[in-house]
Amino acid sequence: MTSKQKRKLTEALFLLPTLLAFVMVIIIPFIYGIYYSFTNWQGTGAATAWVGLDNYKAIFQEPAFLHSFLVTLLFTVLNVISVNVVAFVISLLVTSEIRGRNVYRAGFFVPNLIGGIVLGLVWQFIFSNILPQIGTAIGSKLLSKSLISNKDTVMATMVIVNTWQYAGYIMLIYVASIQGISKSVLEAAEVDGATYWKRITRIQIPLMANAFTISLFLTLTNSFKMYDVNVALTNGGPTAVFMRKPVQASELLALNIYQTAFKYNNMAQGQAKAVIFFVVLTIFSIIQVSYNKSKEIEA
Amino acid sequence: MKKLVALLLAAMMVLAATGALADIVICQNKVEITAALEEFAKVYEAKTGVPVKVITGGGSSDYNTVLKAEMQSGREPDIWVIEGPTGYELWADKIADQAGAEWTKYTAAAYMDGDKVVGFPVAVEGYGLAYNADILAKAGIDPATLTNYDAYAAAFEKLDSMKAELGLDMVVSMVAGTTTGMTWVTGLHNFNVYLTVGNKRNDTTYIDQVLAGKVDAERFHQYCQYVALLFKYSDPDMLINGTQDSQLAAFANGKAAFYHQGNWMDPSLVQLNPSFEIAYAPHAFLHEDTDGILVNPPSWYVVNENGNKDEAIAFLNFLATSEEGADYMVNKAAMVPAFTNVTLAPTTPLSKSVMEWNAAGKTYDWQQYKLPDGFGMGTLGAIYELLASGAIDVDTFEAMMIDAIASIAK
Repeated sequence: MTSKQKRKLTEALFLLPTLLAFVMVIIIPFIYGIYYSFTNWQGTGAATAWVGLDNYKAIFQEPAFLHSFLVTLLFTVLNVISVNVVAFVISLLVTSEIRGRNVYRAGFFVPNLIGGIVLGLVWQFIFSNILPQIGTAIGSKLLSKSLISNKDTVMATMVIVNTWQYAGYIMLIYVASIQGISKSVLEAAEVDGATYWKRITRIQIPLMANAFTISLFLTLTNSFKMYDVNVALTNGGPTAVFMRKPVQASELLALNIYQTAFKYNNMAQGQAKAVIFFVVLTIFSIIQVSYNKSKEIEA
Repeated sequence: MKKLVALLLAAMMVLAATGALADIVICQNKVEITAALEEFAKVYEAKTGVPVKVITGGGSSDYNTVLKAEMQSGREPDIWVIEGPTGYELWADKIADQAGAEWTKYTAAAYMDGDKVVGFPVAVEGYGLAYNADILAKAGIDPATLTNYDAYAAAFEKLDSMKAELGLDMVVSMVAGTTTGMTWVTGLHNFNVYLTVGNKRNDTTYIDQVLAGKVDAERFHQYCQYVALLFKYSDPDMLINGTQDSQLAAFANGKAAFYHQGNWMDPSLVQLNPSFEIAYAPHAFLHEDTDGILVNPPSWYVVNENGNKDEAIAFLNFLATSEEGADYMVNKAAMVPAFTNVTLAPTTPLSKSVMEWNAAGKTYDWQQYKLPDGFGMGTLGAIYELLASGAIDVDTFEAMMIDAIASIAK
């Protein structure tokens, strides 16, 4: 055995444990999942019958699933914008000369350390109990009722809570990126008479393109897969009418899949939904990353 | 090492020996009554000389593991607990028919398999419309007259018009929200009113229809009117945002005349010290009279066909018919006995009322758990919430419910 072959073998051996774990817990269940989505599997034992595309056909005739799909898209768009705008603004704030900026950095990041379930329950209390009292006191018609049980405002509460939780994390990425920009470039622009706004839009943002790529990717996938806050804050409710059928106004895809599989005990159909979920999320992510990558520049 | 093995062996022999001594072995699942049951077992032994050993598995999943282990231990329990059809079917070939046993004369809540009487009801739980007797008295309404839709409609209207005078915020305290996870109250418990009220226990006419995707049009129409009536006189905010706690608080503080919950709320209710008399009125949704509340055992004792069958049945008879048995069930274990001969009354108000209805033999069955998984709480619960929030009217509600039920059969 030559030394080159030996090295290759060593490398392969080092890779083996991780590869084995990856195959066991990701690849095999994934393939099984796809297989089960074509059967009438009930969650225990082996699948009893092959049903072809029946599960997929049933899904696309189900108003609740289509509604979840649309609501998830809506939530993703609103949430990606909201989280990134807020994160970018506070990252500018905490990288400026403001006093106590380290305290702010820590403060904005702390919500991210609280689990989604706890956070959801705390905010549910705020929206259902505290805000209505304030609303009644100031005579606001909108605020005097719980924003969560109103089907028109429930998505806004989801976006507010998720932004509150996630913006601090994205802020860190932007802060790191802003600090990586050479001071000399900004100083030169300032000497040349560029305004603060010009410096942000013409220098900082283009130079931060790779931070936007990663931040948008993280928020996009995070919003699309949102589950914990959804379940704890709104439990999918309240009920709305869609295509003349009752549907859950804030039931995102992940929760809809969970309910199909575990509440309705319809494992195979839940699995089929999960496969669709995976395909759609993959397509969106690839489009987003390749678009943002094309915007990245070196300075 | 040798010492350890010897110790273990000794321990096993002691266990085996005590196992062999007991003539009746009970394997049960309620941790909270273990001490009371063991005490009752001693009373039984002192009286009859038959030793009784109690094995308890905590929590329902744990219980099933413990039971399986006991079944394989070579000393099968003589009596164990089943919690419904799943437990029954698992052990069906070991379970004895107790038809003709003395206790069967005093209960309508035995677990039946065709004509076979196989399960002794451990206790019963029940629900109806709990009422605040003081408020009804002040409004001049006799709760005994609340046995049909028209009586309720008149009573609700009268109470609603006297709200300020009686200090009421709402007539009925009821919850139906999905965000608060309360749709089981509507989609399961209230829907069961349609399924069983007015029928004999074990009569499955309406649930069979529903499972075939159909409803009895006239009965269902009347039921929908009843739901709309309950919602009309409930507080809209309570319906959608109310939790189990706020629903109870409104009733216990005298802000609501009626309360749509079961006797499992008694421990929390007693903590709030309600200063008035409480009892159950029936969910009488039809125009003709129906007089009974919805009562069902959460679990049953079954007897091992191959074990000490006669001793086990004798023990159950003693439990159901003796004073000691009544004292154990009511006072020691704080349960509502499923037997009409037991006169001892629980001290908590809702359980006391369940007991009285049960003793009078005026009960209807629970069949909501025969609905497909998720259907009651999820699919139907959502439609109830739409009506509660005012998004749809009662006719649309009826049509949507019928539509949803039709989808079961597909």
